[in-house]
Amino acid sequence: MNIYKYASPASFYPLAGKLIPWFAIPAALLFATGLFVGFFIAPTDFQQGDAYRIIFIHVPAAWMGMFLYILMAFYAGIGWAFNARLSSMMASSLAITGAMFTAISLVTGALWGKPTWGTWWVWDARMTSTLILLFLYIGFISLQAAIDDPRRADRAGAILALVGVINVPIIYFSVQWWNTLHQGATIRILQKPTIRGSMLAALLIMLAACWLYSVAVVLIRLRCIILEREQNASRFAEVGV
Amino acid sequence: MNWPDLSMGGYGFYVWGSYLFSLIAIVWEVVSLKQRKKALVKQQQSSKPVPTPVLRGSINETTS
Repeated sequence: MNIYKYASPASFYPLAGKLIPWFAIPAALLFATGLFVGFFIAPTDFQQGDAYRIIFIHVPAAWMGMFLYILMAFYAGIGWAFNARLSSMMASSLAITGAMFTAISLVTGALWGKPTWGTWWVWDARMTSTLILLFLYIGFISLQAAIDDPRRADRAGAILALVGVINVPIIYFSVQWWNTLHQGATIRILQKPTIRGSMLAALLIMLAACWLYSVAVVLIRLRCIILEREQNASRFAEVGV
Repeated sequence: MNWPDLSMGGYGFYVWGSYLFSLIAIVWEVVSLKQRKKALVKQQQSSKPVPTPVLRGSINETTS
């Protein structure tokens, strides 16, 4: 099987259609499992009481916001460097889901900050850089929407996305570089996590659910973008949506 | 398994508010995608190319 043929939007379109349920159904199941573990099995925190349960959506959403941005910049860069249409379409498709997760992390963060820190918002390093991430997503989406020629829109978006990538390590390391109100990382790659097993399990299940959900919606949106851009190609008239 | 306290120990507004906002965001994304798909199908049905059998027929007429 020649996998390179899937770099063409016309060949990728039916493949994406077949893949969607394999991500959407496990995503729904894992969301249900993660919430069950998070609310029914994970114990109440001795310091924060039940307010800490916001972590199960806040942290996965924040991670997704950052990961999807890196992915978006990667695909936009590939699309720009190699003139690969499908990669650029993938970048456009990732932007909305990434923006949505970043918005969720900001709103849930504010709702968590009020009872634990006594304030909805402070202009500290992590929150400000996350807000900039949301603006970068919005800028990418608006810039692409403002340019009529899709290939030009892809190139302009790619430059914005690649320049903005510098913001992601700033968000990640902000809690170490600056003195901030935001707590440090709970889960580190090389060290033991600082939370209890059932809490960690719920967090990781929710993260997996967010990943699968993102893949499913990004593929659905990618199929829409392929159809919108290649409407004139006669073969799509037979395929349908 | 232990049943969670629905008031979340007084933090109910913040905890349920967080999950409610996330749910609304996800539902909004899925519904708007569905509408985008629907609009595309409609557009495609209304702008169908010239039916192929006619073309094929005309080609056959000229070649036979």
